[in-house]
Amino acid sequence: MSTSTPALGADRRVSHGLARALRSPSLRLIGRRLAAAIPVLWGVTLLTFLVLNIMPGSAAQQLLGADATPEQVRQLEAELNLDQPAWVRYWEWLQGVVTGDLGNSIASGQPVTTIIGQRLPVSVELVLCAIIVSLAFTVPLALMAARRPNGIVDRLSMVLSMTGLSIANYVFALVLVVVFAVIFPVLPAIGFVPLSDGLLGNLRSLILPAIAIGFPLFCFYTRFLRGDLVEQMRGEDYVVTAKAKGVGPWRVLIRHAFRNSLFGLLTIVGLNLGTLIGATVIIEQIFALPGIGQELLQAINNRDAVVVQAIVLLLAVVVVVANLITDLLYAVLDPRIRYGQRSA
Amino acid sequence: MSTYGAPHSAAASVSGDGSRPSPSTTMPLLEVRDLWVRFRQGDRQVWAVNGLSYELFGGQTLAIIGESGSGKTVSSRALMGLLPETATVTGSARFDGEELLGLSDQEMRQHRGADLAMVFQDPTRSLNPTMRVGNQITEAIRTHLPLDRRAARERAIELLRLVRLPSPRQRFFEYPHQLSGGMRQRVMIAIALAADPKLLIADEATSSLDVTTQAQIMELLLDLQGQLGMALIMISHDLGLAASFADEVIVMYAGRAVERASTHQLFAHVRMPYTEALLEAIPRIERPSHSPLPVTPGRPPDLTTLPVGCPFEPRCSRARDTCRETSPPFEEQEPGHWWACWYPCDDGGSG
Repeated sequence: MSTSTPALGADRRVSHGLARALRSPSLRLIGRRLAAAIPVLWGVTLLTFLVLNIMPGSAAQQLLGADATPEQVRQLEAELNLDQPAWVRYWEWLQGVVTGDLGNSIASGQPVTTIIGQRLPVSVELVLCAIIVSLAFTVPLALMAARRPNGIVDRLSMVLSMTGLSIANYVFALVLVVVFAVIFPVLPAIGFVPLSDGLLGNLRSLILPAIAIGFPLFCFYTRFLRGDLVEQMRGEDYVVTAKAKGVGPWRVLIRHAFRNSLFGLLTIVGLNLGTLIGATVIIEQIFALPGIGQELLQAINNRDAVVVQAIVLLLAVVVVVANLITDLLYAVLDPRIRYGQRSA
Repeated sequence: MSTYGAPHSAAASVSGDGSRPSPSTTMPLLEVRDLWVRFRQGDRQVWAVNGLSYELFGGQTLAIIGESGSGKTVSSRALMGLLPETATVTGSARFDGEELLGLSDQEMRQHRGADLAMVFQDPTRSLNPTMRVGNQITEAIRTHLPLDRRAARERAIELLRLVRLPSPRQRFFEYPHQLSGGMRQRVMIAIALAADPKLLIADEATSSLDVTTQAQIMELLLDLQGQLGMALIMISHDLGLAASFADEVIVMYAGRAVERASTHQLFAHVRMPYTEALLEAIPRIERPSHSPLPVTPGRPPDLTTLPVGCPFEPRCSRARDTCRETSPPFEEQEPGHWWACWYPCDDGGSG
């Protein structure tokens, strides 16, 4: 409606665009969510610190072994600054964290950032593989199950899911090892081959752990996606429209129902990332993968408070950020949110 | 109409002068005989449509009127094969000489959207919110016509122009939520017209729209019908709408037809007390202000049991013992005027 010159209009559009970006709901959402995450993360560190202090035994005792005299232990504690009151140590650690210094491991003296840098890639790869494994099986199975509710595929997938949801992942991991490494020795039972030593070996060392973590998730996602698809196929008017066009049932299911179910699935995957990371701690231990989870368990055994604190904080940050990304992805994928509500 | 070219485009070039094929000489386009639909609901049966029969000629407009649960929507979805699996459909529905009932889903898909198309009540829920409207139209086009992507897009834009959507080329790329209710319904109509159907079923197509938009959409439907030579079934609860737009009216109650006549004849001489009650319930400007609206007493019948007598009897002011004992037959009691009533209104000249 405005009759400004094109150049001026363009100029105005740029500044207008910037102003709008700053006021944009998604940026404000990010800001709000990050602000809300700060007390959460702080709470996590405080809780971890308290739990570590309640735990019997000290790092010095662990380092020196059972034969050490109380004298020696006290001396080492003084060297390691462990004789200070708990709140002082916490305060010093927190100051370090805020300035980006995670400190040095009590046990090895290495900087915590170096340790994390070595361990994190393994865990990230494991988590990604687990997500890929779970979704790669979830999507086709849920589609087939939803194509004929109460049909043979649906019933079988139901049995499978219930089995997977009721079995603990470490038990399932051991079953996998027995079957695929002992009875049929096709995959390594333990150990990790880094990506730099070849993709095939790397993947072979990750298949079993990824399945052990991914299977329960796959079961959960399949139940969810199948239910959501069936609901869409039964209840949504646009499904009727698609059928009324003469579109075939598979196409209706995939192009119409699945497309809309994707948002829900995405949310569930994002929200479950915490569970998934939790699972890596135990699974890395079982399969002797040198990841963050294994390091965390070791650090707990060593009463290496600095490392434990750093890793727990890192995992908390990952979960918070993952949830935020889920919300943002939702906004990117859903055109109703992407363009904002507008009715002409 | 130049790019509106497609295999079926012969129909599109029929000029809309409103000339109807004369019913007596040609075969009806749609002939429904003794249609029954019942639903399984737990261990009970819901008798949704009970022996509905009618015929519709090409280019004609038929209004099927009734309140919620009268079977008007179910009967038309039965024709399209769009009922859930819990439905049992019996009877016959011949479309262009071919029996539709009993076709496999795959065979029915050849007709759905191509020969028979449907426009639904709520355009907001009937469009896929995650797909651009253009793609929802081209999907319908490419399901039935052998057009490539480009040609399908051109045809879709042509269809959007045909349904008088402003700036169709731009709207093609928009999402449903970016359009108003009336515009969405226009898109729904464009989808329905994608493959030049011979019969368009408009299921309460204007009920969710505001009054001004309602009239525009109704006029659009009638214009298109004339232009494309389609037959049109309007399903509505609004007798007034039928009076203004339909050639013929069927009034349904409890899953059966209770009165049927040409619009003119029906409104000149209403025979069925239920139709009269519906007419009375239309608010009128002539009535003194603040006078209560006449409401038909009672509730719609429970469809889990079929009544012995006339289903409208419990709510009917003219009911006598006969009505309770035997159901009145639905017969052509005057030339061109069918009704099912033992004691019809003598002269219901309310229209």
